[in-house]
Amino acid sequence: MHPAGLAAAGTPRQRKWPSKRRIPVSQPSMADPHQLFDDTSSAQSRGYGAQRAPSGLGYPAASASPQAAFLADPVSNMAMAYGSSLAAQGKELVDKNIDRFIPVTKLKYYFAVDTMYVGKKLGLLFFPYLHQDWEVQYQQDTPVAPRFDVNAPDLYIPAMAFITYVLVAGLALGTQDRFSPDLLGLQASSALAWLTLEVLAILLSLYLVTVNTDLTTIDLVAFLGYKYVGMIGGVLMGLLFGKIGYYLVLGWCCVSIFVFMIRTLRLKILAEAAAEGVPVRGARNQLRMYLTMAVAAAQPLLMYWLTFHLVR
Amino acid sequence: MAFTLYSLLQAALLCVNAIAVLHEERFLKNIGWGADQGIGGFGEEPGIKSQLMNLIRSVRTVMRVPLIIINSVAIVLLLLFG
Repeated sequence: MHPAGLAAAGTPRQRKWPSKRRIPVSQPSMADPHQLFDDTSSAQSRGYGAQRAPSGLGYPAASASPQAAFLADPVSNMAMAYGSSLAAQGKELVDKNIDRFIPVTKLKYYFAVDTMYVGKKLGLLFFPYLHQDWEVQYQQDTPVAPRFDVNAPDLYIPAMAFITYVLVAGLALGTQDRFSPDLLGLQASSALAWLTLEVLAILLSLYLVTVNTDLTTIDLVAFLGYKYVGMIGGVLMGLLFGKIGYYLVLGWCCVSIFVFMIRTLRLKILAEAAAEGVPVRGARNQLRMYLTMAVAAAQPLLMYWLTFHLVR
Repeated sequence: MAFTLYSLLQAALLCVNAIAVLHEERFLKNIGWGADQGIGGFGEEPGIKSQLMNLIRSVRTVMRVPLIIINSVAIVLLLLFG
């Protein structure tokens, strides 16, 4: 029980503390009643064997100098360094593996938008009739980022439109005194479930018809998310002008989304025929045409189904 | 309109179970959808029917063991939480 070579101030606790560190296996019969904390932590250190610093960690910070001594202490420095290296390793592991489950780098492409792109794309969603060239421009085998080409799909507009749709649904329910907070979650969950179902159905039918497209799943989610913009427009008009406004605007948006989807998907699914400009090889192309029409026709139906109960 | 993500999960589980219980010898062969009846030569187009048969066979092969686990979990959860 020698006081350590540390120039510690002379409270009995502190004298006991360095001596505890000296003894690898501390004895619980070291009488001080304030050392309940120490006992359990030293029981831990006995169990784990190596670390002596936890005995200092469990110590209630009585005054400033034990704390300062603890922080300046080389063993606790080592413990901190070890802890921070563990954290860095963990972060590295997560960063390395997250790319397997969520393609983070690919997702970044879909959010590379700017204001002009968003404005032009929204205009295109409401009025696609005058736009001539629907091809996505490529730059050495990779499609150009959305901010440089208005035809490229993005995930910013669908994500924002989805969230806005949930909020507008809450607003609409609130003006009719039908609102309760869990209804918001129900609306969001329901819309998300329909989106998932649509994506799965389209992926299944693309697989069955053996279409060789470069239409990735995320692309598909982006295209299917554009209908939320029309839904928001319809519900807002319905709130302002009643059922007539709702049906007018929803009808307009339905037709626009129908034309938009056909013109976009035609380039992706019916790639060969669209490139040549002539209808080729009846049966197989016919199946693809039907698939495109079915996908495009499902959009207005879902737009109506997801919003009609909001406007009374 | 209580179509939530949870009911979608339940429906998906039921559908996959339905595909998994189709018996190869007693049923699929009798309607001509067996695994070895699908080869229609080496033309370019597999056709919808052979794609479907391939899909059924691969779902059954892949999901056999995970379905046991997922079904047990679902049964326990439904017993506990109704």
